[in-house]
Amino acid sequence: MADVLSNYRTGDAFDEMMDAEGSVRPSYKAVYSALSRSTSDDLRMIAESLANNYTQAGVTFDVGGVERPFPLDLVPRVIASPEWEIIEAGVAQRVRALEAFLADLYTEARVISDGVIPSQLVTSSTHFHRAVWGITPANGVRIHVAGVDLIRNPDGDVRVLEDNVRVPSGVSYVMTNRNAMITAMPEAFANQRIRPVTGYPTRLLTALRMAAPAGVDDPTVVVLTPGVYNPAYFEHTLLARTMGLELVEGRDLECRRGRVFMRTTAGLQRVDVIYRRVDDDFLDPVHFRSDSMLGVPGLVNAVRTGGVALANAIGNGVADDKLIYTYVPDLIKYYLREDPILPNVDTWRLEEDEAREEVLDRLDELVVKPVDGSGGKGIVIGPRASKSELDALRRRVSEDPRGWIAQPVVQLSTVPTLIEDCLQPRHVDLRPFAVNNGEDVWVLPGGLTRVALPEGELVVNSSKGGGSKDTWVLSPPPHRSPSGRNSTEHKEEDVDHAESQTAVPLTVAQIPVGMKPRINSQRQQQDQQQQGPQRGWTC
Amino acid sequence: MLSRIAESLFWIGRYVERAEDTARFLQTHLRMLIEDTTAAEVDACRNLLALMSVDEVEDPTLTELLRVLGYDPSEPTSIYFAYAAARDNARRAREVIPLDLWECVNSTWHQLPTTPFGASGAHVFLNWVRERSAMFAGISRSIMVRDDGWEFMSMGRSLEQVDMTSRLVASASLTHGSSQWPAVLRGCGGHDAFLRTYRGLYTDREAAEFLIVDTKFPRSIMHGLIAATDSLEKVAQNNVLTARHAQTAIRSLGQLRARLEYADLDDLLDNLNHEMSAVQDVTAEATIAVATSYFAAADPTAWITEGTR
Repeated sequence: MADVLSNYRTGDAFDEMMDAEGSVRPSYKAVYSALSRSTSDDLRMIAESLANNYTQAGVTFDVGGVERPFPLDLVPRVIASPEWEIIEAGVAQRVRALEAFLADLYTEARVISDGVIPSQLVTSSTHFHRAVWGITPANGVRIHVAGVDLIRNPDGDVRVLEDNVRVPSGVSYVMTNRNAMITAMPEAFANQRIRPVTGYPTRLLTALRMAAPAGVDDPTVVVLTPGVYNPAYFEHTLLARTMGLELVEGRDLECRRGRVFMRTTAGLQRVDVIYRRVDDDFLDPVHFRSDSMLGVPGLVNAVRTGGVALANAIGNGVADDKLIYTYVPDLIKYYLREDPILPNVDTWRLEEDEAREEVLDRLDELVVKPVDGSGGKGIVIGPRASKSELDALRRRVSEDPRGWIAQPVVQLSTVPTLIEDCLQPRHVDLRPFAVNNGEDVWVLPGGLTRVALPEGELVVNSSKGGGSKDTWVLSPPPHRSPSGRNSTEHKEEDVDHAESQTAVPLTVAQIPVGMKPRINSQRQQQDQQQQGPQRGWTC
Repeated sequence: MLSRIAESLFWIGRYVERAEDTARFLQTHLRMLIEDTTAAEVDACRNLLALMSVDEVEDPTLTELLRVLGYDPSEPTSIYFAYAAARDNARRAREVIPLDLWECVNSTWHQLPTTPFGASGAHVFLNWVRERSAMFAGISRSIMVRDDGWEFMSMGRSLEQVDMTSRLVASASLTHGSSQWPAVLRGCGGHDAFLRTYRGLYTDREAAEFLIVDTKFPRSIMHGLIAATDSLEKVAQNNVLTARHAQTAIRSLGQLRARLEYADLDDLLDNLNHEMSAVQDVTAEATIAVATSYFAAADPTAWITEGTR
């Protein structure tokens, strides 16, 4: 029994499936029992089917210009309902605080005059754009989509590693992972209720439509992609397809007199909202990089005059700057007058002389990150770095202390992962996605669990060869009313129809009446008669 | 519909059709090449390549023919290239084409062979290519919405089919000692239909008539011209503002139809190469007209930093 799990040994890190005593956590009971009934051949077959599914469907991620199927591991990451409620609230709280921060910063900047954040910190952020100072979006939203990276430390606490409020990617894999898993191992879904992830495109589309410039009742929304060579191109097509929107490139758009148009076979057509997946720097050659071929000249002016709405807004990068990150707990208190639900990972600000001295002394035991990087770029993990790498780092940090932060090496939690023929613990993080429509912040149940496939590896980014896992948020146990029917059944305001439907017990539908008998060709009827027993003339 | 997407759909149609027709062309002639001992292999291969407008191969052999028209990804005339290009266009139009259709193109591309094969392996490959194209046609016909996108794809297919049938027809005039027409008819899958239409009594003249001007046989030049015109007219109705240039395409296709329909068949046969090359000119003109009216991108904007002049 359990040969695929017989050698499963958890390390120093928190393991999502097994506790320190080696017993299975309640949320993983169903997955564990399914796994322990499988042989390594079974698992290999499932893994192959998952990989084939992704190759045929072209679910890929470009690494250095080569399309690769995005590795999906077959063991899901399971999150129990009470824990998810905390994460959900914590992520939404952060998005609300960052939203308030951006709204303030690009208008009155009280946060600076009140002394919460030093002004020099903001103006020195590479993603603070004066070009958008004073612009207020029609419905006030700047962070339409956010991805907040969470990790779990060895004590079992969930902490925020970083915020992504520019163009966070990965949500498409949440949706395709679920589809692939349902096809590949349907029986694992049978005995528990897992919250669906299909509601995302509708939520996003609603938020984008609500962001339309004033006076536009039925906005034309488009998705703007840098093009087919972007690593996340697959995601752009999936989002456009599932929202029923045009996927445009910069060259498909044109700005005229503060309005944006797309080139169609019928001539120019007005565009009201752009869900852009192009970075700020490339968005408008007039204001930002003049050599950008991916953007649209005049776009910033169109935004300024209210001719078009951009999601996410330009200049958001200042809010996910890793040095601003260290102030987010203060921002939550300042803007929301609440205590942070999810704490940060301890972080040293290298600008502060004392902190810098300490960090430079202990460089070989810390993680040092550039403040404006993403995708795992430029991260140096002290214990793994060579002496020359550390020396180079020390030099760079001393030259530009504003450019770097340092954090202790956190042993991310682990989840069983199929490595060759058996299951082994591998480190994971979690990126939940939040959508802000201006009225409330909705968090997609689950999010993208990224897994570092090499043993002991702590960097999970897909651009560093990481894989992913399906993330299952278990539904809370149903509250049954005395009649035995589910109480959520009549909640009409619930947008996610599918979500409420899963909680409804199956009932037998009425048998449809009035269907007419189906007709076959006369020839077949004759043939049947000829072959029948009455063929008297053969006697 | 976005101009860029319309262009992609047009070329998906063309490339899938091109892959299929190249496979038909190769199948038609491979057998004759192998059976026929009178003509030199090099001459025959050179003629076939010339029909596909390839002239840079010196002293081509059968192996070369299969490489250039079959499996070499770097040859723009190869089936491999056509499917890779179709897949590239499909990837750019992924959000508008049905998922099944994308998966059909994508998995075809994944399964394309890149290693050389000889005449014996060729038939398995060529049959497979035709099957994949048939699958593409079937899926698109059964699930694609009949909007402008569909019309652009059909237009691409029809124009490509006209072009490729003209090359197949021209190949019938290559002499290997016996008449090529039955083989060409078989290559188009129309041999039996032809026999039924003409009750078994035929000459080369009727065969040419069937492949060039028959309106009922879907792989004839005339049928393709009519289908392309239909698509062009539907798109023009839906896009009144931009349809001006497209009239040029409709007009030149119409002129060609009239010319073929009322031509003296014997004259056509006498000047077959010339006439078929004229057909190819018209499909090229129509393609340019469609591109300028519907696919045109903006004029490139030049940015000059202030003070640099």
